[in-house]
Amino acid sequence: MPKRSIEDRLREEYFDFLPEIRRVVWQLEAEIRYYTLPILHSLKPYEQLVVKSRVKECESALKSLRRESKQNEGRVLDPGKSGTYSILHLPDLAGVRVLVFPNNRLVEVDETLREHFPGWISKPVKDDSGVSLAPKYYGNCANLDTWVGGEYQVVPMLLGLFWEVEHSAMYKFKEVAESPRMKQLRSDVEQSLGRFEEGIERFVQDYTEPPSTTS
Amino acid sequence: MNKDILRKANYWFDFDRALFLNRATKKAFSLEFVDDKPEDEILQRIDESTSGSGWTFYFNSPPSEGVRRELERMLG
Repeated sequence: MPKRSIEDRLREEYFDFLPEIRRVVWQLEAEIRYYTLPILHSLKPYEQLVVKSRVKECESALKSLRRESKQNEGRVLDPGKSGTYSILHLPDLAGVRVLVFPNNRLVEVDETLREHFPGWISKPVKDDSGVSLAPKYYGNCANLDTWVGGEYQVVPMLLGLFWEVEHSAMYKFKEVAESPRMKQLRSDVEQSLGRFEEGIERFVQDYTEPPSTTS
Repeated sequence: MNKDILRKANYWFDFDRALFLNRATKKAFSLEFVDDKPEDEILQRIDESTSGSGWTFYFNSPPSEGVRRELERMLG
């Protein structure tokens, strides 16, 4: 009988844990929806708050493990270190993304969630120059007894929707996505979306709030 | 640029493995090696003759025996 590969052992581990990963993502999504409910009900007609969740796909989890270490040239799992690999090392098996528009609502959502997930580790999404684009946190659901970790991020909606398209188009070509040219193009889009969002906020403020009167 | 040099020498990029490969010469360059080394070293490695029928891997850190076997199995 041929020897089982590390990948096959990890696939088995993934599917053993899949029901648990699903429970974590449902729990995290439900909690986040509940905690942000007061904000949702107070939104103005043009404002938006959308909660999305996903379970990391099996092959995507394997790819992440292969790419985990920058030093892993060839992106191969070393058969000599077979026992050291586990899908449970991935912090984002269960993920929730909160998309918010406009940006001033993002701060409110972030602060609200931080109150309810106090022990979670902050690791914001940053652009190539190190500027934080969106808050992101890793941790474990307090009332679930599991080794499966979760991740949630609060993202400006325009940026989040751009990332959905960009990530799915560029994921396979991740190495090219890190080329100077692609980094520049991505940065141009991110900055433009940020400026557009600021413009909308100013526009709405100018047209919906009465001008301050000085006596 | 190193990547252009490799492309001109008929190397293609395997996105899953992040390797520049040439099946005719059975040489594989890791992305990290290509990023870190000067152009003249890349040119020298492309031109050098290799012994044996197996693959030659140009990595910053030489691959372990297990990784080498795994890569050779995948590359055929």
